[in-house]
Formats: sequence, C-alpha cells, structure tokens
Amino acid sequence: MNFIKRGFLGITRKKGKSLILLAVIFILGNLISGAISIQQATGNVESTVKERLGTAATIDIDYDEWDAMSDSEMESLEMEEISVDLIKEIGELSYVKYYDYNMTFWLGSESIERYQDEDLDDEMEEDMMFGPSMDFTLKGINYAPVIDFEEQKGKLVDGRVFTQEEVDGGSSVAVISKKLAEENNLNVGDTFTLANDVYTYDYNTGEGDLVTSRDVVLEVIGLFEPQEAKKETEENSESDMMVLMEDTEYYNTMYVPNEVVIDETKYNWEESLKADEELAEMMEEEEESFEYYSPIYYLNNQEDIEAFTEEVKPLLPELYTVISASDQYDNIAGPIESMSKLAKYVLIVAVIATVLITGLVVLLFLRDRKRELGIYLSLGEKRSRVVGQILIEVMVVAVVGITLSLFSGNLLAQQVSDTLMRADDNNEEYFEEYYYEGISTDLTADDVMDSYEVTLNSSYVLGFYGVGLVTILISTIIPLIYIVRLNPKKILM
Amino acid sequence: MILEAKDLNYYYQDGEQRRYILKDTSISFEKGKFYTILGQSGSGKTTLLSLLSALDSPHSGEVLFNGDDIKKIGYEKYRRNNVGIIFQSYNLVPTFTAVENVLVPMSITENEIPEDTKTVAYNLLDYIGIVKNKADRLVNRLSGGEQQRVAIARALATNVELILADEPTGNLDEEMEQEIIEIFKKLAHEHGKCVIVVTHSNEIALQSDQAFRLRKGVLTSYE
Repeated sequence: MNFIKRGFLGITRKKGKSLILLAVIFILGNLISGAISIQQATGNVESTVKERLGTAATIDIDYDEWDAMSDSEMESLEMEEISVDLIKEIGELSYVKYYDYNMTFWLGSESIERYQDEDLDDEMEEDMMFGPSMDFTLKGINYAPVIDFEEQKGKLVDGRVFTQEEVDGGSSVAVISKKLAEENNLNVGDTFTLANDVYTYDYNTGEGDLVTSRDVVLEVIGLFEPQEAKKETEENSESDMMVLMEDTEYYNTMYVPNEVVIDETKYNWEESLKADEELAEMMEEEEESFEYYSPIYYLNNQEDIEAFTEEVKPLLPELYTVISASDQYDNIAGPIESMSKLAKYVLIVAVIATVLITGLVVLLFLRDRKRELGIYLSLGEKRSRVVGQILIEVMVVAVVGITLSLFSGNLLAQQVSDTLMRADDNNEEYFEEYYYEGISTDLTADDVMDSYEVTLNSSYVLGFYGVGLVTILISTIIPLIYIVRLNPKKILM
Repeated sequence: MILEAKDLNYYYQDGEQRRYILKDTSISFEKGKFYTILGQSGSGKTTLLSLLSALDSPHSGEVLFNGDDIKKIGYEKYRRNNVGIIFQSYNLVPTFTAVENVLVPMSITENEIPEDTKTVAYNLLDYIGIVKNKADRLVNRLSGGEQQRVAIARALATNVELILADEPTGNLDEEMEQEIIEIFKKLAHEHGKCVIVVTHSNEIALQSDQAFRLRKGVLTSYE
C-alpha cells in the first residue's frame, strides 16, 4: 500500500470527485488547447510566409518618417546620399550572405529587336513602348556571380557569368536572356550594338529631339532564362497582364558590369546638360548627381533580419532605414496577427483561470481529506510522499482530461479561427506600399490565410501537455503545501 | 528504560503571558508494562502523549527513546519505526478496507516486515478480533469497537515496542472498553510491549501496572 497505490485507489474509490475534477480540467483544457492550437498555427504561418518572403533587405528613405515631417522640418533637412563606402561597410557585416549595389539604365538599338511576348496584345505592347531609346534595360553588376542567378530569379543556361576583372574593369560584356538571343540570332561570343541616344525635350510640347548618339558594343558571354513560373491566373485578368509585362521586361534585361552602366549614364547625363542649359543650371543649383545606388543585401538567415536592422540603423544617415522582405508580413498578415494576439490573451486568461479554479477544486477536495493526510503523517510517512500521492491522483485525472481536450480543443480552434478569419477578411485593409526590386512580393492576405492550418502536430501536442500539466501541477501544489506544512497533532487532535 | 521524558515544557503564548500545559514534566517507562496517565479534560494529558509520540515538539526538554533523543532520531522516522499510535477517534482512512488500513504503515516503516504483508495484516486483525470477512469491509461499515481494534492492529503492524493510546475507549461502551483493555494488557505482559494509555477513566487506571495523574501540567504518581 505504498503512496502510488494509495494514489490510484484514491481515484477509483472517490469516483464522483474524480469525475468533477475531470470535467473541470476538460473544460479549461479546451480553452488552453484551443489557444495553443491557434498560436501554433499563426506561428507556422509567420515562419512559412517569412520564408517565402526571403532574406533580402535594402536601404532607403523611411517614407513613414518622411510623411510625418512638417514643412519647416522639410526645409531645414539636408538629405545625404548613401555612399558606396557605407554600402560596402554594411555588406561586410557577418549577417550578409552576399550583396550588390548597382545602377540601371535604358538603351535602344537599331541592330537588335526587343523581345515581345505573343500573349501581350498590341494595345498593351504600345503602352510598353517607352520610346526608341529605352527598349533594353542595362542592369549593372558589382557581384560577379550575379545575385539574380544566386537567388533563382534567373538561371544561366549557356556561357558564363562575369569574372571579377570584367566587373572591376567595366568590360563590354553582357549576359542576356535566351529568348532575346533567339529573337536576334545571337549566340555566346557574338557582339551586338546598342545606341545611347541623347535627347532634349521641349517642356511645352513634350516632344524630344535627338542631339547626339553613340554606339555601345557588347559581347554576349552568357544566356539566362527566368526561373519564376508564370502564374496561372484567370485569362486576360489584370494581374495576368501585369505578370506578362514584368516577364517581358526581364527578357529584355541585360546584365553588364556596373562600370558600363556608369559610363553610359554619365555620357547621357553630360551630353543632356550640354544641350539643355536650363536643365544644367537647375541641376547645378540642386547639386544633383547622376550616380545613385540602391543596394540589395541577402542575409544568411531569416532570423538575422532583426539583428541586421539593429546593427545597420545607427550607421545610416538621417531619414534612412532598412527595408526588409519580412516587413511586408505585417501588412499582409493582418487577420492572422489579430488572431494570434487574441489567442495569446485567451491562453493567459485560461492558464490563470485554470490555476485558480483547479486550485480551488483541489483545495475543497483536500479539506475533506485533511484528516487522511494527517493520518499518513502520524504514521511517519514522508511529506514528499504525501504530496506525491495527491499529485498522482490529480495528475492521472489531469492527463485523461488534457488528452480528451487535446482533440476537442484543436477541433474548437479550427472552427473558431475559420469564423474569425472570415470576419476579418471582410474588413480587409489596403496598405500603401513602395516597390523594391528583389524585396517586394506578390504574396497576398489570401496566400497567408491559405497557409494557415490548425493541425495536430508534435510541437502542439508537447506544448499543450507541457502548459496543461504544469498549470495543474501549480494549482495542486499550492493548496497541498498549505495542508502538509501543518504538524499531525494540529490535523488529528 | 524504553522511553523517558525529561523536563518537558509546553505552553501557549497568550499576549505576553505564557499559559503552561506542561511544566518541567519528567517521566519514564519500561518495556513489558501497561501504563496509564490519568487526567481531567485540559489537564495536558493529550499534549504529553503528542510529545511522547512526536506528533508535536516541546518548547524545551527532551524525549529519549532507548536513550536517544527523538529529535535526533527525527520525529518522522521515530513515528515511522518506533511507535504505534492509537487515537480516540480511530483515525482510519475511510475509503480503505480494514486490511488496507493495516497495510498502510507496513508500506511506510523501514522495520523488517515479512514479505507477505497481506497475510500478516489478516493474521494481526484476526488476533485482535476482526475476522477476514470484516477485514475486507470499508472501515466505516464497522462498529466503533471494531474500528478501534483495526486501529490497534494498525499500531502493531510495524512490529514496534512502544504503543501510545489517547483515550482509546472514549467512544466505546463498557463491555467493549474492557475487551480493549485486555488486549493492551496482553500486548504488555505477553508480547513485552510498553503500552501507555492516556485516559480520564479511573477504572482503566486501576487495571494498569503503573498509573500517573496529570493535574495542571504537573505529573504525580497515582495510587
């Protein structure tokens, strides 16, 4: 008749009390289980979505802060540019896997044709005609292996990427899309010519005149294909067209050493200023430069973003901030976040309620059994074993109650979260967003909600058993301490 | 000398006043004898018994078991291995059967107990006058006298030499009282136990080998 056997006998010989305790634990267990289920599911969504958003980050003006500035603050503000040295300093931080900073310029050509998607109708295509000298996007590269290829935006299918010497020396080499090469019968090793046309514009008529032009001869060293599959959306829908246009732009993008872009931009800038005195004066007054970089950093891990941001912010000039891919999570995951918060509060309240209610129930039961505990103590039983006996009685019932509520609470959580999300979806808010290449995503609140799933996985089961049993343990030990601290004479005589 | 109390003091603090229940009380007991401590309600006899059985501790003084201070032995360990206690209100576990109640101290003690504890418990109950079919009943289905017999069997279950009883016949009729007294005599005289009974009954005191009277915390010999 040791304390373990006594514990089990205590459950079977007092069936009524055991059932009451089971009912209390089951009901409260459902609250805890439901809250943990929702928390786990929202936690999973956060990690899945942030994983999909990627590890990219950039430095840009904090537009929220900018918008909040008063007119007088704006006037006194002296904006600093992000220097190449600062970009490199940030790039050397341990969180950064690789980074690039580049300029982009647009050129046309007399000798090669722009690639046009056959699915785009003429009207759309016309909208995309930016003028004769802007058919092709020249994207500068400082990171020789090309970040877009490393990040699977594109894939090199023929030839090679740049060497560091080509990047540093600004060699006239290019990696172009395979479709563009096929359109113009170009192969690796061939050369093609682009035209850097300089125009002046009449601001009254909006018409432009060609002032001068120079040829840009580039050798094809590699061919790439875009990696992102076209989204299968409704035919001719607006988003479908947007995707097609983006794809078409990418087919007409050429990767070249950044020095080539700088040279061409500088030529165009200087020639434009020579031809337009009014513009030259304005630019001189405002100390404008043609050189402007938007850096992109890819971090080692999603978890590094917070630490990276903290470390980078003090290095930045006033009004600049770190923009990361995961920033968008807050915008698109509104319903999930509000449910996560609700689940957190429910969990806290449920745990406190469980400690109080179970504690009171156990205390009431113990009051009836105070004499019995006194008897064990008078017989010389160790206090720890008396506590152990009662813990066995309560914990065995608790395990049964918690196991039952594990399933019912999970089911309850599915129903509640479905209802909440539907209600929240109707009140969906739209956020103004800025576009950042490599960072902005087409993930929507619907994608986020699709990835929300209340499941019965091992972390939920362990989490619930952990929280549930510890809660019951605390609510049992507190009243028990009150009883066993008494000496047996006080209980029995 | 199996048990000896030396200069025991026990009091309640009443403001700045101390209300003494026991004052410099000393007493000693031998094996093989049946002792009674006689006293009216509030005389301090139950307090003395609770100090001798280590259910409570004195403010000063010491209780020696076979020459060792029970404080040094450890109150819990002393109760577990050296003393059997019988209460006026039996103090049996109501949800257990008679035999289960006897088995409880057998699982707690560190004394050597035969392996087949259940048979020992049944035999013990039978010796005290509880037959097997009654031994398997829940104790609250037994009469007061039967319950007190179960309590005596429980006190004997750990094979201790010292039995302390607080008004063991207080809830019983005269006939049953005499049966219980006979059991105590037998335990002392035939089995060499030291049996100490606290009572207010002169009848019981007269049947004991030695009796003490406790009045206002002061112990005297009872003739």
